[in-house]
Amino acid sequence: MTEARRLSLILAVALLALAAIFAGPYVLDTYSVNVLTRSLLYAAVALTVDLLWGFLGILTFGQSVFFACGAYAAGLVFTHLDFSTGNAVLALALGVGGALLVAAIVGWLAFWHGASALYASVITLVLPIVATQLLYSGGTFTGSSSGLSGFMSFDLSMEAWFWLAGGFLVLVTTAAYIFVKSDAGKLLVAVRENEQRCKYLGLDTSRLKILVYLACAAIGAIAGYIYAGYAMVVAPELAGFVFGTELVIWTALGGRGTLLGPVFGALIVDYESAQLAGDYPFVWQLIIGVLFVLVIVAFPRGLLPVLFDLPRRLVGLLRPRRAAPAASVRLSTLDAAETQGVEPGEGPALSVAGVAKRFGSLTVLEAIDFEARAGELVSLVGPNGAGKTTLMRCIADGAERSAGSIAVNGYDIGRKPPEACVALGVGRKFQMANVFETLTVAQCLQIARVRHARPSLWRRAEVLPLPEAAMHVIATTGLDKQLSTPAHLLSHGMKQALELAMVLALEPRVLLLDEPTAGLTKTERMQIGAILIELTKKQGLCVLLVEHDLDFVREISSRVIVLHQGHIVLDGSVEEVVASELVKQVYAGSGHAGIDHETAPAPKEMPA
Amino acid sequence: MIAQTLDIVTTAAILYAVATGLLLVFGVMKIINFAHGGLMTLGGYAALVTTQAGLNPWLAIPIAALFGGVTGMAIERFVVRPLYSRPLDAILATWGLSIIIGQLITLAFGRGVQFTQSPLSGTIDILGEGYSAYRLALVGIAALLGLALTALLQGTRLGLETRAVIMNEDLARGLGINSGLVRFLTFTLGSALAGIAGALITPLSSVDPAMGVPWLVNAFMLVLVSGASLVSLLFACLVLGGAQVLVATHFSPVLGGLTIAVLAAIILRLRPQGFARD
Repeated sequence: MTEARRLSLILAVALLALAAIFAGPYVLDTYSVNVLTRSLLYAAVALTVDLLWGFLGILTFGQSVFFACGAYAAGLVFTHLDFSTGNAVLALALGVGGALLVAAIVGWLAFWHGASALYASVITLVLPIVATQLLYSGGTFTGSSSGLSGFMSFDLSMEAWFWLAGGFLVLVTTAAYIFVKSDAGKLLVAVRENEQRCKYLGLDTSRLKILVYLACAAIGAIAGYIYAGYAMVVAPELAGFVFGTELVIWTALGGRGTLLGPVFGALIVDYESAQLAGDYPFVWQLIIGVLFVLVIVAFPRGLLPVLFDLPRRLVGLLRPRRAAPAASVRLSTLDAAETQGVEPGEGPALSVAGVAKRFGSLTVLEAIDFEARAGELVSLVGPNGAGKTTLMRCIADGAERSAGSIAVNGYDIGRKPPEACVALGVGRKFQMANVFETLTVAQCLQIARVRHARPSLWRRAEVLPLPEAAMHVIATTGLDKQLSTPAHLLSHGMKQALELAMVLALEPRVLLLDEPTAGLTKTERMQIGAILIELTKKQGLCVLLVEHDLDFVREISSRVIVLHQGHIVLDGSVEEVVASELVKQVYAGSGHAGIDHETAPAPKEMPA
Repeated sequence: MIAQTLDIVTTAAILYAVATGLLLVFGVMKIINFAHGGLMTLGGYAALVTTQAGLNPWLAIPIAALFGGVTGMAIERFVVRPLYSRPLDAILATWGLSIIIGQLITLAFGRGVQFTQSPLSGTIDILGEGYSAYRLALVGIAALLGLALTALLQGTRLGLETRAVIMNEDLARGLGINSGLVRFLTFTLGSALAGIAGALITPLSSVDPAMGVPWLVNAFMLVLVSGASLVSLLFACLVLGGAQVLVATHFSPVLGGLTIAVLAAIILRLRPQGFARD
């Protein structure tokens, strides 16, 4: 399906939904129209819960507060300043502005570098509790526990309010749907799947989370504003924890990560609540509670996917499953002139001076000094616990080291976070293959290119330009035939190759490779070795390699640094290191051959 | 001054009694049991039934523990066990259970607010200041609970195994510890403690189907700042409970109600490990 057809299909469905909204008041009774107007607005807030929780992985209990922000802005302005067109605009601006301000504070608290998912949820839990208490203590200004009522509002008919609420819901749902299916939307899933990898791909994940959170706050505030205009009453419960959790319940019931599930979940449950709450209030709550627990335990994806899967499975029984869809993305090689990465600064590609790392009284690295030029392939060797991986971490994350300084391309990395180190030209491949498990190969590569090519907020790119080095890895390992395979289905070696290609797509100047051949077959190892040699020789990369396979080290390195107990014991050419008596002692513990593989193979060691 | 000191100590004791069960479950299972509030409500109603039946009000405590414990067993087996690998979902599912418990109680007892008989009435003179005897007794009960739990964890084989699971569950399993059983017993014990806490707080306030919810958030925040240690929980209860009393008396009761949650959130922002030593 072409991009234009995909988008027009979405718009056609949106138009159908608008038509259904338009027909609503003509086919429904007055009572239903009245109740559904509220449900439509609640559904818009449930949609924001889904964006945050289902896509970005942030379980939020506090979206009710942004709804209340918009509602109270309208209530307060219309009560204390009277209703006029000017004041209506002012109230909307205050509502959205207030929600954005609150969201910015919450975002700063909850999404800082290193905050856990649980902590973010805790903050969103505290938010509605604080907000409700503040509304309670507002005296006559906020109307305290009884809220505000009896204020003037827009003079619209009940049908018009229904159309307004429905139109708003269709608008935000369509926009959200187009966004999450776009290239930029895949970023949300990537952050949920593997935030660490995102950071080491140069993405500022905290900023991304805050931006999405701000957008969701604004949507909630507008929904609240419409609600206050139509209901002409606002109460502290709108900001409450109970409403906040109800939104989560609707989202979970409908199906997190589906957008439409939460929308229908909110519409159906809220509408039915209004119908049944009069006659069986407690039984109804009980049913919802039981259903909620059941869905969380047994159908974590929610009810909408279950409903959709049923017919699909029935059809699947009759018809053989279709082959995997052809790749929707074509790869292309970037012109070498465009893939220079960061401009090299003065001096060597990598310079490490006096670096130390301590955990309390334990010293892991001490007085590490070395420099590496572009085009060098430096291997870090040493027994387990020598500090090799720790040194890699210190180069890729400015906050890691305890002392000393590190410069990449002549720029001091200071205390910068990983994403800023990537911007200076560092590319880090982890020891264990670290990719986005649920995304396809092509999507993983796309995420790695986000730093260079801003992804579209509404379209999917049909061509993915990659630098030559990444293309080379992909072509050599045969990844180009598996572009639409989800990463978790790849073999271990393919995952390693994919991660290497992702890191190379960053156009790094300094490439940090932590045991890139661990667990690979001999053939795969030879392939990777050949690629590395070419990268250093032809592309002028500076490669720092941690490796236990000393044959491999000998074949490809231009220089070897031997670490032992946190110190550099030798820094020299391959020949010097192989000949060194000291190194043999360090590596084997006693005198006999450790480095020299040919006489006695060194034991295969586990990753440090 | 004396009254305020006593307020701080007794408030801390109540918070400690309320939070220990949650702490135990969080420490061993790394999940937040949002049914804790519901189980407290259950304990409160167990106390109500006990006193209404004309039994000795002190009996309410073991009866509430029984109710909480048995319910906890069912919850662990059918809801929490399938969710070990999904901790955020466990929060939601246990919250759903809280709703279910609340609605069942409402169906059985109605929505109304009810009162239980206090096992101790009147005041005791301390340094010339008359102070509620029951609140003072709570300090002793909370201390007893803390000591009993410490003895259980430090002095018995089950306690040793529990501590092993807290530190490194995979390793503990590798050493032949049945971590499933440890989790089951921990959750049962944590739920029984929630029931006891519910019975303990009812004489101070009233009984209603939503009585556990306000306590839940405070207990939850206290547990998060304390990590998995009973000692740092005591410290957290004294500091944050003390702050709550001071803010409530000197500024406003509304702000006092927010103190624990807001302070805990800020503490965790500045120091993610909270009051835990490491």
